[in-house]
Amino acid sequence: MTVQDLIEKAGLKPLSKFENRSVAGVYISDMVSDVMAGAKSGDLWLTIQTHKSIVPAANLVDVSAIIITGGKEVPSETIEFANKYDIAILSSGLPTFGLVGKLYELGLRAT
Amino acid sequence: MSGCQHRWEMADIQFGFVVFEKCFQCNGVRTYFTRESLPIIGDEYREGDHFWHRVENAQTFRFALRCTKCGAAESFDDLMGLLYCTGCLPDCRLEILRQRLESERTHLVLACGFLKETRVRPGQIASRKLQKLTRYFNQRRDRSRSTISIRSFDLDDGFARCKGEFLHDVGMLSQEPLTSRRSPF
Repeated sequence: MTVQDLIEKAGLKPLSKFENRSVAGVYISDMVSDVMAGAKSGDLWLTIQTHKSIVPAANLVDVSAIIITGGKEVPSETIEFANKYDIAILSSGLPTFGLVGKLYELGLRAT
Repeated sequence: MSGCQHRWEMADIQFGFVVFEKCFQCNGVRTYFTRESLPIIGDEYREGDHFWHRVENAQTFRFALRCTKCGAAESFDDLMGLLYCTGCLPDCRLEILRQRLESERTHLVLACGFLKETRVRPGQIASRKLQKLTRYFNQRRDRSRSTISIRSFDLDDGFARCKGEFLHDVGMLSQEPLTSRRSPF
């Protein structure tokens, strides 16, 4: 499954430019330190965290995309930073639990 | 000397806080790692000639790297954190390096040791350790897209002018909107 497939199947809204990478699995956390310690390359990162420090953390661990859940508004400086580092930021109006259910139905699991 | 082509993984992960303290007397800043459940901002205490005031804390973790093949290990207890250059100063040596590496599809990440009292520059992490950390992050990523290069943060004036983005969870325990988090520096 790719990021583009997910956008279509899970009703996600792209907020930054993105590369259509393969998605390996799912990681859920609202702490950048936890993501650095636990997320794997190619993971989707689900979070409600919108501060721009999510971008370098995502870049460092090489996640395939960040999904901001709960319809939270993402500051423009975070999106600018994501464009600079080619990090896909997607938005979902669903709360994290609801989106996880949908991703699970689509066959995604934790790596 | 080991001939092992190390395959690194993170080990001994400990979550905690980086605490930032400022001295009223000398204006020095120091940082350290603690596993306290919640270091309280505003705490003050004397220590010799210093009068330390806790000004900020940030959730973070410390770790070691261990080779899955030979068991060799390297501790990173001296690493305060990693910082991404944001290109805030076009003539900054690190920004020039960042741009050069970017043209080679390599992202520059800067490693900072802890601040020790009146010193402006953060502690320096040994280059052999940074090579291992670089290798760890590159081993686990899709290197056909880009790679990571971790170098020492060695600007002479430390964080005085740098607006780099620290990979810390500053303000996670606060009710303030995250967009208004202040830099610990």
